[in-house]
Amino acid sequence: MLLVLLATGTLWAQAAAPVLTILSSDGRRTLPVTVINNQDYVLVDELAGPFGTTTREAAGGLTIAVHGRTIILTADQTVVSVAGRLASLPAPALKRDDRWYVPVDFLPRALAPVLDTRLDLRRASRLVVTGDLNVPRIVTRVETGTSSASVTFEITPVTPVRITAEAGRLAVQFDADALDLLVPSLPPQGFITSIGAGATSSAVAIATGPRYGAYRSSSSQPDASSSRLTIDLMPGTTDLAAAAPATPPTPPVDIRPSITPSPSAGLRTVVIDPGHGGEELGAQGPRGTLEKDITLAVSKRLRTLIESRLGLRVFLTREDDRTVSHDDRSAFANNHRADVFLSIHANAAAHPSIKGAEVYYLSIERADAEARRRAADEGTTLPALGGGTRTIDLILWETAQARYLEQSATLATFIEEGLRSRVEMSPRAVQQAPFRVLVGANMPAALVEIGYLSNPAQEQQLASADYQNRVAEAVLDALVRLRGLLDRTAP
Amino acid sequence: MTARRLFAVVAAVAGAAAFGWLVMSALGSLLRAPALPPAEPTTVPTAVVAPPAAAPATGPHIKATLYFASPDGQRLVGVQREVPLADGPVAQARVLVEALLRADAPDALSSIVPAGTSLRGVYVSNRNEVFVDLDSTVRTKHPGGSMQELLTVYGLVNTLLVNLPTMTEVQILVEGREADTLAGHVDLRRPLRKNDALIVSADPTPQDPS
Repeated sequence: MLLVLLATGTLWAQAAAPVLTILSSDGRRTLPVTVINNQDYVLVDELAGPFGTTTREAAGGLTIAVHGRTIILTADQTVVSVAGRLASLPAPALKRDDRWYVPVDFLPRALAPVLDTRLDLRRASRLVVTGDLNVPRIVTRVETGTSSASVTFEITPVTPVRITAEAGRLAVQFDADALDLLVPSLPPQGFITSIGAGATSSAVAIATGPRYGAYRSSSSQPDASSSRLTIDLMPGTTDLAAAAPATPPTPPVDIRPSITPSPSAGLRTVVIDPGHGGEELGAQGPRGTLEKDITLAVSKRLRTLIESRLGLRVFLTREDDRTVSHDDRSAFANNHRADVFLSIHANAAAHPSIKGAEVYYLSIERADAEARRRAADEGTTLPALGGGTRTIDLILWETAQARYLEQSATLATFIEEGLRSRVEMSPRAVQQAPFRVLVGANMPAALVEIGYLSNPAQEQQLASADYQNRVAEAVLDALVRLRGLLDRTAP
Repeated sequence: MTARRLFAVVAAVAGAAAFGWLVMSALGSLLRAPALPPAEPTTVPTAVVAPPAAAPATGPHIKATLYFASPDGQRLVGVQREVPLADGPVAQARVLVEALLRADAPDALSSIVPAGTSLRGVYVSNRNEVFVDLDSTVRTKHPGGSMQELLTVYGLVNTLLVNLPTMTEVQILVEGREADTLAGHVDLRRPLRKNDALIVSADPTPQDPS
């Protein structure tokens, strides 16, 4: 993903040396970021510029003074003293080569209280918004079809927008001080050649391509805190006339699959199973985060994403915090005639250092292998009413998953590949295991362990909207690929 | 299964257990008669109840491979330990599980069973399936997580099947009953085979004389 930060209207790619951008009413400053143990750190000395801090080292610790108040750091400790009160950081303060580093969370958790100001850390875009600046976060999605394209902006918090058609582009002006904008990397195609910074610090420009003729916009508000603006780009009349009878336009050679909500023969219904719930807490993080809460939050995000992007029917085995038996979970999927069953979990390990996501599909034990052979047989012949026989598909509910193992393996691989580009993976990313909840699923099924709650850094990640969205997008990509496969093999 | 048939099976099970108890008592052995596993009727009458592992501190010992979690928490590592030689597979299975429950993990490795878990009984069916009955600590003290649960289950299964090559499968029971899962993931409703995929094979087995 390309990150475009519009504070000064310049384009800034994440591939460059990472920096933390600090937006304030005085303007924009950047601090170099050092990544240590997968955590973003900044040098304490660098904070002097934007925040006016002074430091004094004493007895293995560092005292940071600002506005007459002090913060005390201890090397390799996650707990810091902030004006006499304790605050905890997701990773320890570090002293390297006589210089002190703190995780970026130090800004909102330790510095903000002593400065008496708001420091809003936007981790995904490495942005800190100070004071009362209005910097909405805008996540952009682009859907390209052969006859139209659409751009969707998810805007948090709700912000008024004005669209103006200009020569060669659409200008989208947000009523804000600056924008925290995420745009997917986009190969140029017929309707849109690029999306990037607009003429002001709070505008986005959609550069239109040769096939663009007109646009239509609509907005909705999925929840109280965010709004959604969709701009459909349609062809001009000459384009329609030229494209229809003559040679069809060359198919787009996107690396990403083209996501258009078209009916699919093989993939119509998805059942998502938020692991554990109710009395079954599942794993528990060191700070008390419960697996059952994380799995429900991720499942709901995933449902929203699948419904809005793929137009599929999505059901959750539980909508709230309740105990659901394993059999009820797979039976729910079978009763809804789901084409895919996904169980969402978070992992735990004895050592807190262990982390990463994993994807599982069912492994077959002896009894299941026998059932599988039976399932592969032509079916069972039963005497039918009024004489004669008929062949029916007789399969034990217990071992329904046995016949879908190849497809489940493919699904698991697709999910793993989707996750790998977005989140950290465990050393053994795809595995087979005799998991109880998968046994009875009468459709391709996989269990996704989205990360280790027992790892303190991952516990925090798993609870964050950013990480949960990345997981949801990874699964969405996998479903798009699976749909392509099912449509090709469907009769 | 009809109620009559169930009753007949229960009666047969109770009869077999009572008969075994009488015989063993006559021999002067101490014997507990825990509830038998709800296995198929054909396997039950021949199930053998293990005597308590009261092996003397001295006497013959064998080298056994016990499984622990690898440092990255993703695999099982076999560690050789001396355990008392027991008379027959049932008693030997009991000795192995108790050794695994009591063992301190070598450096960098960690135990796969929750601390404080105790063994209630071991049975072997005539199909050479081992039934291991653990107390509820294995469930209540389990930290959760698929990976940790896989390591617990297959650490036990592999420890038994690697050291007792004539045994084919292991089923874990909790408090004398067939269990659905330990922590919500791994299906324990039927016996499991040895899992070689989870074992670290590239490294030589660490020697740990203790």
